[in-house]
Amino acid sequence: MSENKTILICDDDEGILDMLEMVFEDSPYTIIAEQNSLNIKGIIEKQSPDLVVLDLWMPVLSGDQVLKMLRKNPKTEEIPVIIISASREGKQIAANAGATGYISKPFDFEELMTMVNRLIN
Amino acid sequence: MNIYKNGEYSFSNNDIRQDFELLIRAMDASISGIIITNNLEPDNPIIYCNLAFEKISGYTRAEIIGHNCRFLQREDRSQQERALIREAVSKGKSCTVEIRNYRKNGDLFWNELFISPVVDHDGNVTHYIGVQNDVSLRKKAEQDLRQQQESMEKQIAERTRSLRESELFLSSIIQTVRESLLVLDPEFNVVSANDYFIKTFKVTKEETVGTNLYKLGNHQWDIPKLKELLIDILPTNNPVEDFEVEHDFPHIGRKLMLLNAYRIELEGQFKDQILLAIEDITEKREIERRKDDFLSIASHELKTPLTTIKGYVQAMERLMPEGAGERFRNMLAKTSQYLDRLNNLIAELLDVSRIQTGNIELHKQPFQFDKMVKEAVEAIQSASSNHEIQITGTSGITVSADESHIVQVLNNLLSNAIKYAPDAEKVHVHISKVSEFVKVSVTDKGMGISPEDQKRIFERFFRAGDIQQRFPGMGIGLYICEQIIKNHNGTLWVESEKGKGSTFSFTLPINTTNEHGNE
Repeated sequence: MSENKTILICDDDEGILDMLEMVFEDSPYTIIAEQNSLNIKGIIEKQSPDLVVLDLWMPVLSGDQVLKMLRKNPKTEEIPVIIISASREGKQIAANAGATGYISKPFDFEELMTMVNRLIN
Repeated sequence: MNIYKNGEYSFSNNDIRQDFELLIRAMDASISGIIITNNLEPDNPIIYCNLAFEKISGYTRAEIIGHNCRFLQREDRSQQERALIREAVSKGKSCTVEIRNYRKNGDLFWNELFISPVVDHDGNVTHYIGVQNDVSLRKKAEQDLRQQQESMEKQIAERTRSLRESELFLSSIIQTVRESLLVLDPEFNVVSANDYFIKTFKVTKEETVGTNLYKLGNHQWDIPKLKELLIDILPTNNPVEDFEVEHDFPHIGRKLMLLNAYRIELEGQFKDQILLAIEDITEKREIERRKDDFLSIASHELKTPLTTIKGYVQAMERLMPEGAGERFRNMLAKTSQYLDRLNNLIAELLDVSRIQTGNIELHKQPFQFDKMVKEAVEAIQSASSNHEIQITGTSGITVSADESHIVQVLNNLLSNAIKYAPDAEKVHVHISKVSEFVKVSVTDKGMGISPEDQKRIFERFFRAGDIQQRFPGMGIGLYICEQIIKNHNGTLWVESEKGKGSTFSFTLPINTTNEHGNE
């Protein structure tokens, strides 16, 4: 079922992106790792991922701004989005912006994986 | 019937003897002492005294007649009045003096003495008549009065001096405080302004004192909200306490001020004046904001690499080869454990900072209390295999609170129960509904807390005496817990006995309609 499912992960921190790419290696999903939130719109249009994982605090365009944008567009309004953040107010901000799921940093990989599995199928 | 004849007069029937007797009677009826001296004899001896004189002086007539008057002064001879008498006598004049005399028994009395000469046809002084009144009482009253006046004047001078000192002292305090102070009359005219006000708002004393508050400095104090508050103060006597006003001043820019105002209720000249204290908190607030921002950013930045490390450590645990040694497994497990601790420390530091500046935001939402407790217990249980956490009781209540905060409190209490009771196996959690509260108690069979330490364990950075070596920590966990529970209008407390274990309990009100989150 999930062989060809694609997850777009966007975080401005290279370390986290590297780590997520690496730990998702033995998962059934294809990972698109993106550091610049300005590119998300284009990637979604071209590659239509099945799930988006967004960091909250990103320069220029923050995770909740990206999320609000996605929710306004009929083509992307249904896409499941998980917000990950190290900010204490993250959960509230994520909920207000219309996130499907929220996980606070530092997170348990199992927790993230369980949520991804649930939302993607 | 008095008949006047040739310069003589008689008031009886022209009977000289009878006249004489009546005069003597009259003299003896007088309350003034009367004497006559013969000034033709050497040393002017007394030749007559009336009864009153005997009474005043205490001497009998026999002891008086023949003496010079000076015997009444005894040894007290240096009185100036004597010179006055001598002068009058030498010139044949009358005089009045007040002189100290002494009775036969030695008692002092003040003698108001009037002497007047008797002159014969040739103009020679033949006699002197002395009239004396004992004015001791009057003299004493006068003296007392004078003394009283003197002491009163002294007291008044002393009081005035001390009042002036106090006034100077108070005014020096008022002028020194780094807070602007204004005194207003009931019409809001400035009665006085301290130096700090003058300095802060860049005005002069001349243009300030006497001017209406709202007209000060080109109406820059004409702030509608301030007006409203001050107008309320006089009739209702509600003081304005810590009221924040933000206002853009023409010369000094935007200022955030904390206002306190009171009406003077003291009867008298100051009644109904208004004390207005203005604290400029612009900078303070800005520093607080920056500190918060800094800590927010710092904690976020610290957590980001922590996330990466945690991800790798978990991946390593997952990818651990079948044959990996116990030591290796152990080291990885410890790494993971210390990562969690580091994460908690970062979160706690941020919490402490926010509590101190009162910036804890509560996101209250209804949740099932029992379920929350159960989930928190399960999470802790899964991480600590050495202890068995047992839950009893239920509340069946949905409370409205910030769930993440309450979970944090519960986690803290549970971790403490495990941490400080390493050898005990059981931790007991009890949920109950008590009146309008839900209550949770976490009981351990650990080392317990001494009564002295129980009083202090909720203080920031407090660590019980002997604990730091065996159980390192920052001493802020329970402080944060208490603040969180307080913010929810509940209470957190401990009951413990040294060596027998501790029970930490907290309550939360079920109906949280009167919330005050930002405390």
